[in-house]
Amino acid sequence: MTHGVSVIGGGSWGTIIAHLIAENGHPVKLYMRDADQAAQLNATRRNARYLPDFELHPRLLATASLEDAASGAQTLFLMVPSQSLRLVARELGDHLDGSHILIHGIKGLEPGTFKRMSQVLREETSCRKIGVLSGPNLAKEVAAGHPSATVVASAFQEVIDAGTLLLKSKAFRVYGNDDVVGTELGGSLKNIMAIAAGLAHGLGFGDNTKALLLTRGLTEMMRLGIHLGAQAQTFSGLSGIGDLMATCFSPLSRNFQVGYRLARGEALEAITSDLNQVAEGVRTTKTVAEHAQQERIYMPITTGVYRVLFEGATPKDALKGLLDVGRNPNEQDAPRRDISIL
Amino acid sequence: MTSTPAPIPGKIFQLNQERADLVRDVVAREYARKAASETSLELAINDTAFSEIARLESARKNPALDHWRELYRTLGRKPLAEKQAILKRLLEEAALDIVGNFDPRVYEFATRVLPYGLSYIMRPQHQGPNLTSSLSERIQATGHIDTLRRLAEKGTVILVPTHSSNLDSVVIGYALYEQGLPPFTYGAGKNLFTNFLLSFFMNNLGAYKVDRRLNYALYKDVLKTYSTVLLERGYHSLFFPGGGRSRSNAVESKLKLGLMGTGLAAYINNLKANKPNPEIYVVPATLNYHLVLEAETLIDDQLQKVGKSRYIIEDDESAQAKRIWDFVRQMGKLDMSMVIQFGEPLDPFGNRVDEHGVSRDMRGRAIDLRKYVEVDGVPEHRAQRDAEYTRELAASIVRSYRENTVVMATPLVAFALFELAKQHHPQLDLFQLLRLPDDTAFPLATVYAVIDRLRERLRAIADRGGILLGQDVMRLSTEALVDKALKIFGMYHTRPLALREGSAIRLVDLKVLLYYHNRLTGYGLEAALASEVTV
Repeated sequence: MTHGVSVIGGGSWGTIIAHLIAENGHPVKLYMRDADQAAQLNATRRNARYLPDFELHPRLLATASLEDAASGAQTLFLMVPSQSLRLVARELGDHLDGSHILIHGIKGLEPGTFKRMSQVLREETSCRKIGVLSGPNLAKEVAAGHPSATVVASAFQEVIDAGTLLLKSKAFRVYGNDDVVGTELGGSLKNIMAIAAGLAHGLGFGDNTKALLLTRGLTEMMRLGIHLGAQAQTFSGLSGIGDLMATCFSPLSRNFQVGYRLARGEALEAITSDLNQVAEGVRTTKTVAEHAQQERIYMPITTGVYRVLFEGATPKDALKGLLDVGRNPNEQDAPRRDISIL
Repeated sequence: MTSTPAPIPGKIFQLNQERADLVRDVVAREYARKAASETSLELAINDTAFSEIARLESARKNPALDHWRELYRTLGRKPLAEKQAILKRLLEEAALDIVGNFDPRVYEFATRVLPYGLSYIMRPQHQGPNLTSSLSERIQATGHIDTLRRLAEKGTVILVPTHSSNLDSVVIGYALYEQGLPPFTYGAGKNLFTNFLLSFFMNNLGAYKVDRRLNYALYKDVLKTYSTVLLERGYHSLFFPGGGRSRSNAVESKLKLGLMGTGLAAYINNLKANKPNPEIYVVPATLNYHLVLEAETLIDDQLQKVGKSRYIIEDDESAQAKRIWDFVRQMGKLDMSMVIQFGEPLDPFGNRVDEHGVSRDMRGRAIDLRKYVEVDGVPEHRAQRDAEYTRELAASIVRSYRENTVVMATPLVAFALFELAKQHHPQLDLFQLLRLPDDTAFPLATVYAVIDRLRERLRAIADRGGILLGQDVMRLSTEALVDKALKIFGMYHTRPLALREGSAIRLVDLKVLLYYHNRLTGYGLEAALASEVTV
């Protein structure tokens, strides 16, 4: 079931995933778009751009050909940025059939279409055995062998089994569930909350505020998730609150940084050009806020972050607005309840 | 549809010769599965006895009850050989109860008589010589019919229509006949077999019996295996996947997966047996009526189920004979044709199938279906995986239903009227709304404006392939459209659903209006009324 494994996307997380699989005894191909980078990795056993200090397992072989990566692979991990997945999958689709297992580790929604990554894979390939890998997994901590855990979610048990077999080790636990929607949304939506947490931190607020944002943020994530067909309990797992905590507590998180620096008075353009890449949460905020407004889903924290990012609201006003959450229009006159997700 | 295409021979004409063999095949398969270990054998019998005791206890004195109780008490002590014999007997009884029968002479007779009978229902004043041709105008079959014909020759077809009325199976049977397609076998509720006339035809036209009272796994497994065996042997089959007529009249969105999964099971068995034509094709179809005879009882069922104590039943003094007379008298005055729309065929995994029988992915690439079910290169059943494939098939069928719904005049006008009432009383919940006094009325001009706006939206949705527009909705003026719907609303139901009074339309029966309205829910049409609240 797992003979032949490829990882598509040689960023830091993709490289680590390939390394873990190789370490577990499986030869693995790592697809990188840039042929020079692939050659350099094979020569030096290092990913110079993303993980220069980390030595990669010899069973890992880099390639710059998608066809080469697909041939002989039964299981493929897709680890490219959310906006690139569609084109990569379309090309890859010519080399895949219904026997292939696809697991993506992408935390984002497709801009413009509001589609989840598993939906994009379904549209661009004939594959059905599709899953998602998500959880509180800061790549560098996993690389350093700190005890961590992740989730592989799929409607197909054999996808969960394959993901578990390939990835699990003493330091890295793998949990399975069948809620693909909830698992994908947890990983995507937490980035919005991380920006909010950064904003609060930048304004000098303490842990009470952060806990408030996190808890109510989770409620908001669940509300949207249930609307889209997710199971509520998924959000209380590793890919939900687990990932939310890791991202919001880590001052190194790019999304947290965006919020923090905005609160300190920097402009969004300056911050993103500084970070050398757009934090995924900025794009997600736009996609989600627009969708929530269209579908009339009550998401005050997301709306507040959106106002700061795209409508020029000051962090203080927005945060004040989003903490003074007013009333959920759907609840009408019912008393506000802490755990209400309607 | 004036000339009938050359008939395609159907496997069903061999049903009687194969009957005994079918039963043997079904029993042997289920026996092998259930008698695999003494534990599973005991469990199968025990579950049957337990479930039958529970069912029969609530009924009056039943001689079978003592038998089941005795079996339930003593099963554990019986020797293996006896338990095996019991299992075999139970399986045989179930299979014999289910299996259908097909008499070509009855088919011959029915195809000559049926058009007259149906025509009588659909347009009774036409009893002249051109009766059958008038019927083929009453039932318009459209959509992917040519592909359906081709696939019926190439592999085995499962037709999965929406279900509105008890007339459906008759109407479909006739439409298939008209297209030169052989009769399809289908499972009919055993309760329908109590009617002498109906029972005679169903008993001889390949319908098999489904006893919905029986709840135990053994019975359901035999039923599924019977369906699987039929499909493997090339019998085209008809399933109503909604599991009964749509109570609310909304297009089915949740489907029963049990029988539907037998398509995939048959496909895998065909691959394992290296059959030359292993393909199973699933063809969704929508049935679109102007008027559903059972509308009142169906929506009553639905509201009682959903509303529970909040639903207050109005006194219903229906005068059955008079209603039918009114119906018959008025029907001839109207064009009441119904539309069967055949959707694009699917495979058992929910991919679309092109006109050559090739499955295509969403980017149009040809798919090698075998790859979905191979385990290390060999086709195998895998319960969890196959259940998921069947769920995806169901999702594709539901999508097809929505896209192939044909908007008729009555649902459109009912939608406009009911939504107007809703927007006019935003403070009322559904069950309060249904009890509005029957002097609720809206100016004609308002109704026309709403319908114009709805048509505009519907056209936009249709342009994207999201729905289909019926002839009336496409061609008639707004005034004529409303006029036609009001006439139909006045001809059969206990009360006219809405009446034109001067320059206003009065809503008389909101409950049945709701029923027709529901056909168009889920398309986001409600927003078309948002700015129309000022009445």
